[in-house]
Amino acid sequence: MDKLGKLLTGRVALGVLSVATVFAIYIWVTNQPDNNPALLPPISDIVKSFWVNLESGSLLTALGASLFRISMGFIIGTTLALILGCLVGWYKVIEYLFDPLIEAVRPIPPLAYIPIIIIWFGIEEFSRVLIITIACFMVCVVNVIAGMKNVPQVYVDAASTMGANRFQVFRTVAVPAATPFIITGYRIALAAAWTTLVASELLAAQNGLGFLLQEGRRYFLTDQVMMIIIIIGTCAFIMDRIFRMIQARLMQWSEARE
Amino acid sequence: MPEIIVDNLTHTFGKGTESALTVLEDINLTFESGSFNCIIGTSGCGKSTLLKMMAGLFDPTDGEMRLDGEIIQGTDRRRGMVFQQDAVFPWMTVSRNISYGPRLRGASKAEQAEIEAKWVEAVGLKGFEDRWPRELSGGMRKRVDIGRVYANNPDILLMDEPFGALDAQTKERLQADLLDTWRETKKTVIFVTHDLEEAIFLSDSIIVMSARPGRVHHVEKVSLPRPRTDEMRLTEEFLAIKRKLWAMLEH
Repeated sequence: MDKLGKLLTGRVALGVLSVATVFAIYIWVTNQPDNNPALLPPISDIVKSFWVNLESGSLLTALGASLFRISMGFIIGTTLALILGCLVGWYKVIEYLFDPLIEAVRPIPPLAYIPIIIIWFGIEEFSRVLIITIACFMVCVVNVIAGMKNVPQVYVDAASTMGANRFQVFRTVAVPAATPFIITGYRIALAAAWTTLVASELLAAQNGLGFLLQEGRRYFLTDQVMMIIIIIGTCAFIMDRIFRMIQARLMQWSEARE
Repeated sequence: MPEIIVDNLTHTFGKGTESALTVLEDINLTFESGSFNCIIGTSGCGKSTLLKMMAGLFDPTDGEMRLDGEIIQGTDRRRGMVFQQDAVFPWMTVSRNISYGPRLRGASKAEQAEIEAKWVEAVGLKGFEDRWPRELSGGMRKRVDIGRVYANNPDILLMDEPFGALDAQTKERLQADLLDTWRETKKTVIFVTHDLEEAIFLSDSIIVMSARPGRVHHVEKVSLPRPRTDEMRLTEEFLAIKRKLWAMLEH
């Protein structure tokens, strides 16, 4: 109970305060007599747009399509990153083989692949998932490699002198020791997935949250644009929170669990 | 019974290059089975390097080491090692750390539980079985480390300044407890330290090394009776050995 009380007066309260302040300022500005609602729609319009789109089913369809793309891209991208990152970070031969390639490709923003992907695969569902996959993979793999390379030597030596072979050291020491880095990689990948999702849907989609944004711009529905931005922010926030909970569970052993 | 022999060992870092540095030269040593040996010397005498080679963490450039006539090459569970740094796995509880070695070789749940119970008790950590290492003090973590190596049942115990980072009281307590465990298991121990008192209190035999390049300068047999007690640290016999070794290290 004491802990809860502390949370309410501390962290959570301050977080709520900052969000509430932004809303208050927004409401105040939109209530000014010379405010142009076509540029800054009042909260009531945004809420109305939310209900209209919810009732017509277009919001849920878009949300479903976007969440599907994110999940697929995220799961495939991070899984590949985990496998390749572990191998590159742990086995010297594989590192020498892949390191130059990864370093060369790393600075290219994933969105730069959109034109070539469209040329090759068309404006298909596959193309959008592929772009998100690339984005998740690139940011995640770098973290996994860093984690594997930062395994303290003394743990490796301790395991070896107890009779662990190279693979056992990898499985029982390197992977757990690298978990903090790996989880960070997953969280950054999730953020990257949202960024690329909206960009890919803005460019080439018939549905999804990015499509609704684009539609809002085309028909000058500023309230719809605002509403979608808030939806995206909320979804990304909830996902990140869920991730932090998983992180806290997996990292019970660590000194730095946040 | 396991006996470890170091035969004409020389080690040069960066051999064949301009910056080649010979850290160990013509080392010949025999460690009798069941004995407690300390290696002392100023920093740079290569004592830690020698120990790591015995563990098989890397190979000497010349000469060889044998355990029961078998040439030492690579790491092996027969040669367990306790490090100066904290090597307890932070992602495993105390018990899981203790049974790590047996688990590598596929020990059953029941065997693991038995080993955990035995060694948690032996190193004085009863009641802390399910704690994470981060919840323990430095001294307790060292106990986990020692228990884990013993639970792995090696023939030789190599210890590289294991108590170097601990405060004086904790250190003396751990030294006494280590001797108790050693007396019960009679494993050959090779213990590197720069603490003269620690060396005399623990050893049957003390190897004094000189630096640059590291050579065996002197071997001192310690005939203080066992079991050793803390009062012995202040006896004339103890202090006489300490004065003698101190003069050697200062020369």
